[in-house]
Amino acid sequence: MQQHRPSSVISQGPNQGESRGSRWLRPKKGRPEVKPGSVTGAARAGQRSRRRRLSLRAALAVISGRAAGAFSRRLRLGGGTSIVGLVAQRLYPDIISHLAAQLEHGSVLVTGTNGKTTTSGFLAAILRDAGLRVWRNREGANLLRGVAGALVVRALPNGNLRRAGQAISVFEIDEAVMPQAIRLLEPRAVVFVNLFRDQLDRYGEVESVAARWRQMVKELPETTALVLNADDPTTASLGEQARGPVLYFGLEDLTLDLSGQDGQGTPGTHQVVDSRSCVRCGSDYHYSARFYSHMGHYQCPHCGLERPSPVVRALHVRQDTFDRLRVTVETPTQLGEIVIPLPGLYNVYNALAAITAAQALGISWEPIVSGIEQFKPAFGRGERVQVAGRTLRLLLAKNPTGLNEVLRTLFSEGTPRHVLFVLNDHIADGRDVSWIWDVDFERAKGLTASLTVAGSRAFDLALRLKYAGFAPEEMTLIPSTPLRALEELTGSQPPGRKGKGRGRGRRQLPERQAAAMMTSSAATPSAEEQTTSLREMAVSFPGYGLAAALEQAIEQTPAGETLFIVPTYTGLLEIHRELERRGLTPHYWEGRD
Amino acid sequence: MHGRNEARLTLTLGHLYPDQLNLYGDRGNILTLKRRCELRGIELRVVGLGIGDALAPDEYDLLFIGGGQDKEQAPVAQDLFETKGIGLWAAIEDDMPVLAVCGGYQLLAHYYRPAEGPDMKGLGVFDAWTVHKGPRTPRCIGDVVISWHGMTVVGFENHGGRTYLGTARPLGKVLKGNGNNAEDGTEGAVYRNTYGTYLHGSLLPKNPHFADHLIGLALQRKYGLRRLTSLSMPPGEIMNGSTPAQPVSVEDPTTLLRPLDDRLEWQAHAAILERLGLYEEAVAALRHAEAA
Repeated sequence: MQQHRPSSVISQGPNQGESRGSRWLRPKKGRPEVKPGSVTGAARAGQRSRRRRLSLRAALAVISGRAAGAFSRRLRLGGGTSIVGLVAQRLYPDIISHLAAQLEHGSVLVTGTNGKTTTSGFLAAILRDAGLRVWRNREGANLLRGVAGALVVRALPNGNLRRAGQAISVFEIDEAVMPQAIRLLEPRAVVFVNLFRDQLDRYGEVESVAARWRQMVKELPETTALVLNADDPTTASLGEQARGPVLYFGLEDLTLDLSGQDGQGTPGTHQVVDSRSCVRCGSDYHYSARFYSHMGHYQCPHCGLERPSPVVRALHVRQDTFDRLRVTVETPTQLGEIVIPLPGLYNVYNALAAITAAQALGISWEPIVSGIEQFKPAFGRGERVQVAGRTLRLLLAKNPTGLNEVLRTLFSEGTPRHVLFVLNDHIADGRDVSWIWDVDFERAKGLTASLTVAGSRAFDLALRLKYAGFAPEEMTLIPSTPLRALEELTGSQPPGRKGKGRGRGRRQLPERQAAAMMTSSAATPSAEEQTTSLREMAVSFPGYGLAAALEQAIEQTPAGETLFIVPTYTGLLEIHRELERRGLTPHYWEGRD
Repeated sequence: MHGRNEARLTLTLGHLYPDQLNLYGDRGNILTLKRRCELRGIELRVVGLGIGDALAPDEYDLLFIGGGQDKEQAPVAQDLFETKGIGLWAAIEDDMPVLAVCGGYQLLAHYYRPAEGPDMKGLGVFDAWTVHKGPRTPRCIGDVVISWHGMTVVGFENHGGRTYLGTARPLGKVLKGNGNNAEDGTEGAVYRNTYGTYLHGSLLPKNPHFADHLIGLALQRKYGLRRLTSLSMPPGEIMNGSTPAQPVSVEDPTTLLRPLDDRLEWQAHAAILERLGLYEEAVAALRHAEAA
């Protein structure tokens, strides 16, 4: 089916040297199928039969898992990689370590609150350009079953990986399952991108995640390299616990210091700071530069703990266009400029994380540059889709810092934008949406060319925007389900049900009169009411559900312009499903690598 | 708009530990109080009171304490006890409206007993105490609705500790969700004008009646009912030219305030009620917006 890549070195560009990529290759030590050592003949025979049993079991797990995946896809139940892993793991709990042990170049794990997908995407692109065969778990399938699934779909029915030579896996891992993932995969490098407040109902507080991480890092083998964000105090502090090599990355461009331009002192902006006190002594950090949230150059005035000096440094960041960031990067051996094809300072950190991980693996400079510069944004991370002459840009934002940075990226130039916000509160989003009150929506005030608000918590978000200074008539509110009580009260019907209630008493209540009932002042009706106003909105919404919201938002965006869609995680999935339904994006379970 | 108000009304809100206790969107509560005051021509000054700052009770008209991470809570508890305790007690006994959410609520009860380790001592404003029963006991997480003076108050709760009331009056009765301890159907606690609750979400944006209740209490306490009705807020201003729906009552100082356009607030409120199957209550909430 798929064209085989030359298994050693690929050469596509003129300046891609022959030896590129293969030079550094360090076949994994100590991972043959059977543990070496002096074993007696009987023991060896026993081990052989045990091995046969295990590979039979692995084969069964692979076959069953893949069958389950096929059914799931056929029945349109979903992407099917998680179900593959779930079934395979059920039949053979050690399937992950069994298969991962066959990867010639081992595994790299990427974790953190924001930027896992983009960082592992950058890293995968770099490694591919270095001539490796890179295997990843599907975005969002970042629990263990997702990892298992990613390996199983690449395994043969005999329980062995196909084409494991030249293969390396890059897995993004949910911060909560990192300890198990490390145990099962014995990674060559672990990348910690950052730690922010996210889904308090699911992960617990930032401090409890940090405590689990510290414990986990202590248990890492000496051969595992740690790649850490120097600018995030909690993440950086993990380096103190490490037994193996530690590589830090960080930002050195002090012109990006927020306290200089629009930081804490200026009213109207609000930074969410999730880690403020010293991990060692508990005093509040002092920042000489703050880039966003708690990212910056910090020092503890009490115990003297300070930001470690990074080995991979972004000396200078310049924005060419909205999604072209020109970054001067310095590593111990190189100084060069890299263009990051994504918007936002957070993507500079993601790129630095990937560059540093590549350094830890011994990759040369050329594939690093080409991997990043030719990167295609992943699912919902700045991804671009063309619809009816408009460009849709999908910018996932799932926690206060993530959303603050998306808003900063969108609105810092003062260009008016068309925006669709989708706020859901399903399990995968985190059910508690109170974090929206910590997001600086005020910065978007007056800068939205059109604004549509949708999702299962659309009302909450609309209210947040109202308190940020948006007039209700500036936004189109499209809740996911009708508010029945409101229909009852106003006698209106949701679209599509009109006419059914005709002739009944409450249906005869004129809409305008019903609207007046909902206003607090007895203002006289005016021509203004013809427009989409709160009054109309109170009676009936332009529609319900995400399909209607997308429709409305696209309609409000003139042809040739860009609609920025900012959804939470399940909102992104719904948007994708809707785009797929219209045949606009590939099904996300179809092969990507 | 408010030209007839000769003396501009001013309230000062003391926000306790804004840097340490800011976990659950507490900012929404402050934004709500500020906006609802400003729309009525009342100036609301917000003063942050951090660790080490003394609390002079005569400088404030309203106090707010939010919830925070466990790591931040211990130094806060100590400061509350040692630095702000006397001032806070004086303010509370003098009927200052105080809103304490989640961790702040726990700090105003007798103690917080963690699953392991020593008790964290609280201020004892509420005759109540909180026990964390260990990792086996599930956290109380989810949407929550309580009844409060014949109306609903909606919010989101997320707490591991269970709070039990001694003689303290609960804020309301749980209609949906867990409340104080998921056992006795109580939620929150009230002492004089001090309100403790687990509801965030943020609490006040979707509960404009509760927000106005606090503002009304603060105005009444600072300016006195008679002065407010006669002097500072002419009836036309208060009632927006229409006949009062209900007479101004001493019990409910909210009636002093000019109604605002709260349809979106009540729709958001009703949407939560409907999700939880409280359809009649949702209709009642929307009717309330309509009556205003």
